[in-house]
Amino acid sequence: MEWLEIFDISLFRSLIRSATPIALIGFGAAMCSASGVLNIGLEGKMLNAAFVGIAASYYSGSALTGFIWGVSAGVLTAILFGFLSFNLGADEVLVGLAINIFSIAGTRYLLETLFKRRGFFSDPSIQGIDPITFDFLVDTRFEKIFSGYTPSIYLVFFLAIVLYLVYYKTRLGTAIRATGENPEAAEDAGINTLRMKWLTVVFSGVLAGIGGTFLSLENMTLFTEGMSAGKGYIGLVASSFGNNTPLGTFGASLFFGLGDAIGIRLQGVYELDSRLILMVPYALTVVVLILIGIRQRIRVRPVPIPEQ
Amino acid sequence: MEKFSFKDVLILFAGTIITIGIAWVLLTVTGFVPREIGKLFFEGAVVGQRNILNTLNIATPYILTSIATVVSFRVGMFNIGINGSMYIGGLYAAWAGYKFTSLGHIPHVSLCIAIAIITGSLWMLLPALLKVYAGVSEIISTIILNFVAVLFVSYMANGPFRADPIAPATPRILETAELKQYFPNSQFNSGFFIAVIIAFLTYFILKKTTFGYELRSGGDGLVGFYPSRYSSYLGIPSDRSAITGMLISGGLGGLAGGIEILGNARYFYQELLFNQGFDGILIAIVGKLEPIGGLIASLFWSALRNGGLFVDYKTEVSREIVVILLSILIFFVSAQKLVSSLERFKFVRKLDAFFTRKIK
Repeated sequence: MEWLEIFDISLFRSLIRSATPIALIGFGAAMCSASGVLNIGLEGKMLNAAFVGIAASYYSGSALTGFIWGVSAGVLTAILFGFLSFNLGADEVLVGLAINIFSIAGTRYLLETLFKRRGFFSDPSIQGIDPITFDFLVDTRFEKIFSGYTPSIYLVFFLAIVLYLVYYKTRLGTAIRATGENPEAAEDAGINTLRMKWLTVVFSGVLAGIGGTFLSLENMTLFTEGMSAGKGYIGLVASSFGNNTPLGTFGASLFFGLGDAIGIRLQGVYELDSRLILMVPYALTVVVLILIGIRQRIRVRPVPIPEQ
Repeated sequence: MEKFSFKDVLILFAGTIITIGIAWVLLTVTGFVPREIGKLFFEGAVVGQRNILNTLNIATPYILTSIATVVSFRVGMFNIGINGSMYIGGLYAAWAGYKFTSLGHIPHVSLCIAIAIITGSLWMLLPALLKVYAGVSEIISTIILNFVAVLFVSYMANGPFRADPIAPATPRILETAELKQYFPNSQFNSGFFIAVIIAFLTYFILKKTTFGYELRSGGDGLVGFYPSRYSSYLGIPSDRSAITGMLISGGLGGLAGGIEILGNARYFYQELLFNQGFDGILIAIVGKLEPIGGLIASLFWSALRNGGLFVDYKTEVSREIVVILLSILIFFVSAQKLVSSLERFKFVRKLDAFFTRKIK
């Protein structure tokens, strides 16, 4: 069983790194879906944030400035999404797709116009965000597992718990879920559903912004064309895998991350093609969606009215 | 969705003016002369035999994917997986193109195209069934299938179908399977005519036949874009028409991929990149979900794209500016409330009524 050897500590670290952007997007997508907004535009938000983050870091020479600008770019794109779909009555899915296409072209245009580059941009004066090491863990067995990640990775774990609490234990979480499940009833209960939708969309913009800067400033310090590489969509898939709950989404993201990490590791080493392994999470998502669908079908099966 | 009305034309016109304004500002800020760029742009799009042919050639997959979108949206299925169908159809068209030897030109091409259509539509069978029988959102499942399609074709180009030891690619298709390129200076091929015929055929089927009415009835009762049970009240099985529409949509996507391979690329390779499936959705919206509207919008879209390529080639201006402007235009066109707010003006209402009467 020599293939078992790949399950070691570095696979774990690679898993966590792959899962982080997916989980960040997934949390945003889950919150949006919970409030009844299908947010396809997360991909574009992430890409914009990644580019603006790296541009701001390049011009200012400060990682923090890059981060703040990147997150603002994500939020601004989210506001554009919300404005078009809530205020101007455009279809959410269409706006999402248009934003994605707009962002891919927009970042490429700026890359060529501002930096005169094609394909990718990297420069020594770009400041990345440094990993955090915990001094008290040095030379213990936990050092390799818990220490030395970049801030966003810790944020993901933190968010998983916080969002779980918000989602189930607070009025706000209930209001968000009510907005998605039954908007009319939520309105009758005095919930401003439009405000809830705006809240989740802007929140998903913040998370997509963090996810984008994670790609360009933390994981690597460079920008490549279309570097989000479908992670916005995968996040959406992860949130449906997790039935739009925070912990479910987190678990699904780890699973996608595992697939990614194994795929990277197996590249060219074993006979088994890594692409087949990369397909597994998607196939499982389909299975989960079927199970969710069947469960809902059973739940709403009409009961025959007894004859008088 | 409502029919084409004067309001829509007005908003399209206003949107175009505004996007041209944005382009003007962008070009001036980056230090170019907008007039010259515009002239080059126009030249690249529609002046000269070569440019026109290239525009038409670029339009081919857009026409097919936008028609695929039209069909799926009209039956009430929000199919985002047309890109995946394109990959699958393209891969199997290439396979059929080199596999079947000793066939004549017409039978071989027909066989390849049939295989592209069948594989593309089978690819959409799963999301259609999942939607109808398990209530799984077709948006999510088709997004998933897009990823699976990319992984699958890259696996196939690397593994079973690989011919070249250096590059992951299938063998070149045989000469009998090629769609004819008529001109030496352009890749324009007979696939364009197939696409145009398909557009008119779809128009005819959707508008003039019972089958088309049954298909449409699933989607025409949509509230926003979300399916209602309108058609089942008419006694038309909306589930069946949803599945049929989805299969047709996938088949057209597969055809788009197949034509790209048989007419342009001539073999399938791993780096092959399709994104016309996504653009097709936006084009179909500009064409108001009408087949002929989709055809015209695709020609418009590809003229702009080709103009952008020409400008990119001649000057330092990035070709992406076209896509930016087009997506801004989409923002305008899709903003329903913006369109309906135009009804406040009396002359818009009058002209609207005038034109509607005339068409009838």
